[in-house]
Amino acid sequence: MQDSIYVPKLRIGSRRFNVFPLWIALLISGLIFGGFGGYEVLRYGLQVTGLNNHVTWGLWIIVDLSSIALGGSAFVFGVMVYLLKLKRFENIGRLAVLLGFLGYSTAGLVLLFDLGQPLRFWHPVVFWQHHSLLWEITMCVVLYLNVLIAELIPIVLEHPVFADHPLMEKYPILRTVSEFLMKFAHWLHKLGPFWAIAGLTLSILHQASLGATYGMLVGRGIPFDPTTPVLFILSAMAGGTALLFGLGILVFRVMRPGLVEDDVLYAVAKLAGSLLLLWVYIRMWDWAVVNYYSFNYTVAEQTSLLDKIAPFSASFWYGQILLGVVVGFILLYANKIKSWKFLAVVGLLPAILIVILRWDYNFSGLVASVSYDPFTPIIWLNSYTPTWQEWAVATGVISYWLMGFSLAARYLPFHATAEHEH
Amino acid sequence: MTEQKKPQEEKTLSRRDFLGLTGAMLGAATLTSVIGVKQSAAKEDTPEGEGHRWGMLIDINLCIGCKYCTYACQAVNNLDDDMIYNVVTLETTDNGDEYFLSRNCMHCEEAPCVHVCPVGATYHRPDGIVTMDYDLCIGCRYCQVACPYDARVFNWKAHTGTSPRVPTFGYPEVEHRPRGVMEKCTFCQHRIDAGLERGLTPGVDPSATPACVVACPTGARVFGDLNDPESPISKAREEHKNVIRLREDLGTEPKVFYVPPQDKKEG
Repeated sequence: MQDSIYVPKLRIGSRRFNVFPLWIALLISGLIFGGFGGYEVLRYGLQVTGLNNHVTWGLWIIVDLSSIALGGSAFVFGVMVYLLKLKRFENIGRLAVLLGFLGYSTAGLVLLFDLGQPLRFWHPVVFWQHHSLLWEITMCVVLYLNVLIAELIPIVLEHPVFADHPLMEKYPILRTVSEFLMKFAHWLHKLGPFWAIAGLTLSILHQASLGATYGMLVGRGIPFDPTTPVLFILSAMAGGTALLFGLGILVFRVMRPGLVEDDVLYAVAKLAGSLLLLWVYIRMWDWAVVNYYSFNYTVAEQTSLLDKIAPFSASFWYGQILLGVVVGFILLYANKIKSWKFLAVVGLLPAILIVILRWDYNFSGLVASVSYDPFTPIIWLNSYTPTWQEWAVATGVISYWLMGFSLAARYLPFHATAEHEH
Repeated sequence: MTEQKKPQEEKTLSRRDFLGLTGAMLGAATLTSVIGVKQSAAKEDTPEGEGHRWGMLIDINLCIGCKYCTYACQAVNNLDDDMIYNVVTLETTDNGDEYFLSRNCMHCEEAPCVHVCPVGATYHRPDGIVTMDYDLCIGCRYCQVACPYDARVFNWKAHTGTSPRVPTFGYPEVEHRPRGVMEKCTFCQHRIDAGLERGLTPGVDPSATPACVVACPTGARVFGDLNDPESPISKAREEHKNVIRLREDLGTEPKVFYVPPQDKKEG
């Protein structure tokens, strides 16, 4: 059992500074900035954004899709720990559950601002329209968020403060509450295999559907692509697992040395690397089918126009393929590399790939929009610049994510208690 | 004894039973109302040949680009200048000839917006009109992303005033929609419904016909029941040999037809 948590300090010359309070203060300022932007959006509506009738999904959708994808390790490790019974991943699996919860709650938070009618966020749960991918995604995300909460509660309740606190001697009722909470946590933990199956099913359904949301846009050119569901699932699994590895180094190797063995971290890296290379392989075939083995006027024109205003093709070759191959191989052979600092940074890089993939799918069809002119069809170039309110809300929800992670990394024990181990 | 007791037992309703029954009834009522809303939102389109099936034909050769259709639509639907259901653009043919393309919602049989709406706020009426339930819409804008015709318009801000096109091009006939919902052309469904109730014929009687059709000074727009061979639109489709629809390659089956510019040259 790990008793102490080491907080890394910043070393300048011979002096060492505890940067944790400064970091938290920075995140609080990010949340306050987000609060200002959020107030403007809720008070005055989406007219304060840079969104328009042509580019109707913008920065927030990218934050939404990316945060969901970066929580992808939760279902992967739920299956590994509870269904495949790979118990050595149990402790790092707890971090995966936390990342999953943070990712999905961030997505829910940002969507609240992105909806034209935020108070109707519950409508899809009641007014079912089962032909809609977005309905299915909403239902899956709502249910999966509950699964993640059920998985997270036992991890949070493991904190010693819930089991034993001086106040419990003074107020016996607190002792009773604590005992009830422990029993509740134990009961939730016992249902682990159920949560794993539910998590796997719900995750694969909605991660695929998020890709299909774009893949079925028959009139939008580039996004209309049957491979998108696979690309979105695999990138979420690969990117989520790589993020788990990168942050796992900080949480376990630096802050809780010995709680997770290096071999387990290397295995996580190997899994992330393999998934990433598999993703690159499928992405290359997808590229070849669309751009090499066939010619589609719309796609070619969209690509050419997008290249004129943004590094669209470069973002594919460098931001997706090259990054995927290089990071994939480094992670695959992580055990040959001595520098953990280097590996931690490499583990965070696939997050860039995840964002670029979603950014490109979202904006390629909206910015380079296909005309309906029956005789001389053209591609219109629309523009979109996020306003400060959009940046503020994005900063706010990302600060929330980082705050949740930082507090958990600092205070949560992340180890399986004796009761749970049996 | 037993027989005598029975009626008494049936009559007696304990507090517990009463509360249980009330709860069950309330639950059933809630469920029924939810299912009721679901059913109304998921109404299927009327198949070809049964009932009414409204459609529109726009003769590009007659369109002079005056935008009266745009303005009449804005007046009747009480839209500010920044919201346009009826868009008129200047386009070119393969030969380089310029023409005006006037476009409203295509009311597709296989409408992408209906398929993607997560709450059934966009749905097909039995007469084929693709319409909106503004009380259901959550403002996710997926319909706008999915529509290949850019026909969907979002209500970015609260509109409380009167359209600047009033009274020159007409008077508001529908109530304001709230901020943050998707809007669209409804073929002036309120005119059609009210007209049919009064025994009028949409497409023939102006007060039962969409405002854009009535306002068109050149008669470029024809409206009517596609299932009725005697309707103006059926006759117009018969009259014009070459009738096209926008982006037919997508399989959306629009109910707005166009007489292309070439038709004029051939004629």
